[in-house]
Formats: sequence, C-alpha cells, structure tokens
Amino acid sequence: MTPLTSEFKHSRPLTLGVELELQLLSQRDFDLTRAATDLLGSMHYDGRFGEIKLEITESMIEVSTLPRATVDGIASDLDGLRQTLLAQCARNNIALCGGGTHPFHHWPDRRICPGQRFDELYSRYGYLAKQFTVFGQHIHVGCTSADEAIWLTQALAPYVPVFIALSASSPYVDGVDTLFQSARLNAVSAFPLSGQCPELRDWAHFVEHFHFLQDCGIANSIKDLYWDIRPKPEYGTVEIRVCDTPLTIERAAALAALAQSLSHHLLRTRPAINTGLHLYVARYNKFQACRYGFAAHISDPLQRKPVEMKELLRELFEQLGEDARELGCSAWLDLLKVSLEAELNDARWLREQQAKHKNLNDVTHAAALLFASGTTTESGENKQ
Amino acid sequence: MISSVLLPLRTAWETLQERIFFLPPFPDQLDSLALFSLLLVVGLLVGEWLRAHLGWPKIIGYVLAGTVFGPSLLGWISIEALAQTRPVADAALGLLMLEIGRRLDLRWLLRNRDLVRATLGDIVLSFTAIFLFSYLVVDLPPAWAAAAAAVTMASAPAVVLLTVEEFNAQGQVTERIILHTALGSAAALVVFTIVLGVVHGQHNADWINAIVHPLWVGIGAILVAWPIAALALLVARLLPKRSLAQVFILVATALLAVGIARMLAVPVFLTLFVMGAILALRDKDKTLSYTSLPDGHWLLAIILFVVVGASLPWQQFTWLTGIQAIGLLLVRALAKIGAFAWAGGSLPLGKRILVGIGIQPLSATAVFMVYGLAGLYPEIGRSALALPLLAAAIMELVGPALCRFAIARAGETARDDSQKGGVA
Repeated sequence: MTPLTSEFKHSRPLTLGVELELQLLSQRDFDLTRAATDLLGSMHYDGRFGEIKLEITESMIEVSTLPRATVDGIASDLDGLRQTLLAQCARNNIALCGGGTHPFHHWPDRRICPGQRFDELYSRYGYLAKQFTVFGQHIHVGCTSADEAIWLTQALAPYVPVFIALSASSPYVDGVDTLFQSARLNAVSAFPLSGQCPELRDWAHFVEHFHFLQDCGIANSIKDLYWDIRPKPEYGTVEIRVCDTPLTIERAAALAALAQSLSHHLLRTRPAINTGLHLYVARYNKFQACRYGFAAHISDPLQRKPVEMKELLRELFEQLGEDARELGCSAWLDLLKVSLEAELNDARWLREQQAKHKNLNDVTHAAALLFASGTTTESGENKQ
Repeated sequence: MISSVLLPLRTAWETLQERIFFLPPFPDQLDSLALFSLLLVVGLLVGEWLRAHLGWPKIIGYVLAGTVFGPSLLGWISIEALAQTRPVADAALGLLMLEIGRRLDLRWLLRNRDLVRATLGDIVLSFTAIFLFSYLVVDLPPAWAAAAAAVTMASAPAVVLLTVEEFNAQGQVTERIILHTALGSAAALVVFTIVLGVVHGQHNADWINAIVHPLWVGIGAILVAWPIAALALLVARLLPKRSLAQVFILVATALLAVGIARMLAVPVFLTLFVMGAILALRDKDKTLSYTSLPDGHWLLAIILFVVVGASLPWQQFTWLTGIQAIGLLLVRALAKIGAFAWAGGSLPLGKRILVGIGIQPLSATAVFMVYGLAGLYPEIGRSALALPLLAAAIMELVGPALCRFAIARAGETARDDSQKGGVA
C-alpha cells in the first residue's frame, strides 16, 4: 500500500484552497511566451499568500492559496498572489491573464518546464503534454474523514456541469471560435485517466480500486487520475478540477463560495446518491455544459428528463442561500447569481471583446487588463 | 579570371553579331536579378551547410560566402556588382532596423529601473573603453578614436534579430538582448551624428559642415521617418490588424523611407530605426503592433550578409591591425559584460553576463557607418577606420556564434531544431 492511498490527512470541515493556472503573455503581441522559470528564478516572495509554482509548460504559472476557512480569506490570498505576480511580471515585461485557453497560441511552440516530473509527463504523453497548455481552477474542500471525502466526491459529481457553465472562459482555440463555452476540457479529455470517479462505497473501496489500477499498470499515483472531482489524501480534501480559470480572481473566489456552500449543503442534507446512474449521463451533461453553458440541457437520470441549466442553477442558488449565509459567503454567491441573470459568463465577455476589436490579440490584451484591474466582468466594480 | 574564361565565347558572340542583327552586345555585366539570385543561392547553401553540419548560425555562412566569393578572395563578386546590390542590402538592413526600432520598449524601462542602470552602464562603459583604447593604445587622433567608438559601441540589430528568430529563442535573456541592442543602437546613432560634426570640425576649415551635417543626418532622419510612420499608421488603421494588407503597408512604407533616405543621403539604418521607434511610441491602439515582417525578409537578409561579407576589406588586413582589432573587441566585451555584471537587478548574475555576451555582435550597421564616414574623407578615413572595420569583420563571423551561445546557455532556444527561422 503506498503512502498516498493509505494516509488521508484529515482537515477541518469545509476549509477551502484554490489553485489557479494563469497565462504568461508577451507584452508585444499578447501571445503566450516562455517565462515561468525566469519569473520564479528571480522572485523574492515569502509565501505569505500561498504558493507560486511551475506548471507543465513555460507559458503557465500556478498559484495556490493557503488553506482558509472562509471565501474572504481565499479572495484575500488570491489578491495577494495576483499583486505579487503582477509586480514580478512588470519587472520582466510579461503580461498575466486568466481564461481557460489562450485564444490563438501555436501549441508546438510551447516549451516543457525543466524538472523530472515534467520530463516524465512529456515522454509519456508526447504532444498531448504541450497541448495541455490550458488553464484551470481547482477548488479544494476540506473533509474530516477519508470516507466523507469519497462520499462528497460522488455527491458533487452531478454538479460538474454547473461548475463548467459558471466558470466557462475558453471559447477560442487556435484562433478559432469553437462555439463552445469551455473548450479547455476537450484538451483534458484526451488523457486516458480523465473522466469521472467510479461508484465507490468508501475509502477502503477507493484504495482497492486504486490498487487495481496500479496492478494493471495504469496509474502510479493519485496525480495520474485526471478525474473531474477526486479525493486529495495529502491535503485531506476533495478537489473539484473542472473549472476554467476565470478572467478575474473575484470570479474564482465566487466559484470557491459555490463549492463551499454546495458541500455544506450536501453534507448537511445528505441526499441519496446514485453514482452508477449518473455515470450514464455524465459525459453527455459535461458536453452540454461545455458547449452551451447557461443554455445547456442537463439530463437528470433520477427523474429521467432533461432540465434547463438556467432553471437548475436558479433552484440551486435558492437551496444554497441558507448555507451561504451560515458560511458568510452570500455576497460571493450573489456575484454568480448576477452572472446567471445577465447570462454573462467569461466566455461571453471574451466574445463581446472579439466583436468589438475583431482581433484576438486585442481580446487577450483586454483580458490581461481586466485581470490586473481587479474588476469583475459582471459589474465592472472592484469587489475587494 | 572570369574574363579569360569567357574570351572564346565573347569572340564567337561578336562574330555571330555581324550576321545576326538582333543579337544584343555581349553582356559584360550580370543582370541585377541574376546576380541577386546567385547571391541568394550561394549564401543559402553555405549557411544551410554550416547550420546542418556544425550547428552554426546561418548568418555566419552568408558572410563567409560573401567573403570567399567577394573582391577580397575569389573576386567572383566584383566591386561593381556590389554597388548594384546595394539597394537590396539597404532595403534588408532598413527592414531589420525598422524591426529593432519597433522593439524599443521604453515602458519596460519605466517598470524596471535595473534596466536603465544596465543600459547606461553599457553605453557609457563601451564608448569610453573603446575610445580610450583607440586613442591611447592604437594612437588614433581623438576625433577618429571617437568615430571608432561610435561605430563599434553598439550591438548589431540585424544579427541579434535574425539569430533570435533562427533559434526561436524566448525568455528574459533574449528579451534583454533585444532591448539593450535597440537602446545601444539608439545611443550609437546619436553619438555617430555628433562625431560626424567633430570629424568635420577637425578636417574642414568651413564650420558650416561641422554643424549642418550632423543636423542633416539627425533631423533629416526624423523628418523622413516621422511622416512616413504617420502615413503607415493612417493607412494601416483602415485595414484589419495582422492582415496581409497591413504587412504590405509596413514593407511598402519602409521601402519608401529607404528610398527617400537614399535620395537625401541620410543614413538608411538611422532613418528606419527612427521610423520603427516612432511606430512603437505612437501606436497607442496597437494598429501595427501585431503585424510582423513577412518571412520573405530572410531572402533580403541573405543578400545583406553576403554583401556585407563581400564588402569586408580582408586585403587591408595586417598583423598589427588584426591584433589591435582583437584588442578593441576584448575591451568592448569586457565593458559590456562588466556593465551588466555591475548593474545588478533581479536577473541572476550568470544570466546578466549572458546578456552581455549576447549583445557582442557587431555588424552591418557598423560597416555601413564606417563606409559612410570614410567616404567623406577618403584619404584619412580609410586608414583611420581600418581598425573598427576589421573589428566588425571579425565579429561578423564570431558575433552570431556568441549571440547564439548566450541564448542557448540561458536555455531559451527551442529544444529541437525543426523550428522556424531562416529558410530551412
């Protein structure tokens, strides 16, 4: 039994942690550029807001907050990380922005970051590793026990389309409007261990399943499981991995508020879950959310009928109101409600910018200015 | 040699001409287009061979081809032929100078004061060190020592841009090499215009030239560059960004600037650099910022470096000048590397030294500056400027390799060699 699967580090309930993968851009044309190792190599940062680290290619950088009990704490860390990175980027003439994909970069130009893990990934996955220059937000929710983490992983699974629709910020790939709201997940789905967590009874069952994968030579560590939602034993969390990196950290914090309120709601009400049935519709629902966003039709396998995403979201926000109030994150959740009512997600904002500028360089420039400004796409106001 | 080979053919042609009336006179000179294509093929072959077999930058191959086939060695490219290709070389150099001017990112200097310290250190130390070496060690008169320093103090924009492009380099060392090359070029061009006045003042009793010529060169370049840059932006605004039409506008206006600069005897490299800098500063809406030179500029670059190679006066080489030139280059190298090591900043010392190595190239601009200056006072200038010319000649071959070494050592070149750049 490997340490990864045998030891689940217990967390305080519903603590949060957020990881964001960000884009490093040339100030000249706002294309992706090779910058990550240079930025980190010359950075003097004491880690007070969390970590800043390399990702698979040199045009990406990952920030991760410290574990926080509240969304306000997460937002504060994210703002600190943003300011730190922006200052370092300014010294090095690099621009920084959010968004799930870079709208027009040429993936063969990407450089794999130095490091044994990255070399192994490149040798294992070949060009997929370079094409994996896509940018996601991962949200960690603390669990008090390993069994609770397995239950929550499965209980959250039907809400994957919700997270996708609310975070969608990757309509452009290779300079083309994909017609998707989130095209990023198509790059992720090329990996053999992407997809959904199977039906599991408890932690022991998960360990058994993982050993099965190990024995078959499919996975060496939990990092190899690119599931939409997975347990993260070393942090004692459940990790939601389907969100695009939003264009603003305010939206990233709002998505963390949704994850926390929803987890609180699920753990409080303990609804019956039927993972097996959900697995039948999971891929279809994910496609719907990626393709149509708020206009998606989500299949409900329990009621055996399609449900409009907007309707589903309205009901969900209604249900989560009490939980959000208890957790002190109602204001953050309201930001998502406003977005829903205006039907304005980040993908739409990017398309509006393209309609205005008719040029993806300018769209990316605008996204970089937005990220640096600390305003939101919905209100244009600073939430901090 | 070639004329003796062609003699029987000429005789036969002239005999035929007496009977076949439509035959033109025997062509004594190669047509410009044919010459253009021959230079292209020869340069390309040598450059590709060196790159494929030794991993050297292609520019070295182009210069070597020019040197071998030029007047100094085989003589297949005659001095007259060189004069014929000068407009193409001017156009190539002009386009590359335009590009380096467009890369002059002054906002970066405002955001990172370390860069100001580094670039001032580079400019002041390089000029002072070369001037003192030329004046005290080589014993050049002060005005010509200043001229030698003005000509050789800056890096070579064309070499740096093409090497970076060839090896698809990206990163902080690369970006800083480009920035300091642009800033150094700007400083060298200012010093060059001042030195023009000093040289006139020393060799000409008539003070008007000493004042008017630098003004003609400096202000002339601005007066040519400014309206043409404005015209380029005006027309480009009517077209989609990054469109082929914008590329044509960029190239067409650059060629217009080259032509007018040639007509007015204002240095082409200065005019196009100023035009590029004006485009960078005035293009607030980024109308032309995303529009790049077409890949075809490599064709012109080959011609440029073959011509530069053929223009190098290897026949003037003496052991003494050779040693002096190497001395100048060592002093220059120490000044540049020392300036970056001293300047400090967030970039680690090792990488700052690599920036100092990466800006070592010295090339076409320097050669053309030397010929421009020497042309004014041929009797003195030729001998006085043999030193910087020979230094430039040596660096034509070593500079691209040093630039490549710096970006490769910094880990900023693409890992595999199947990248864009050049004509491969």
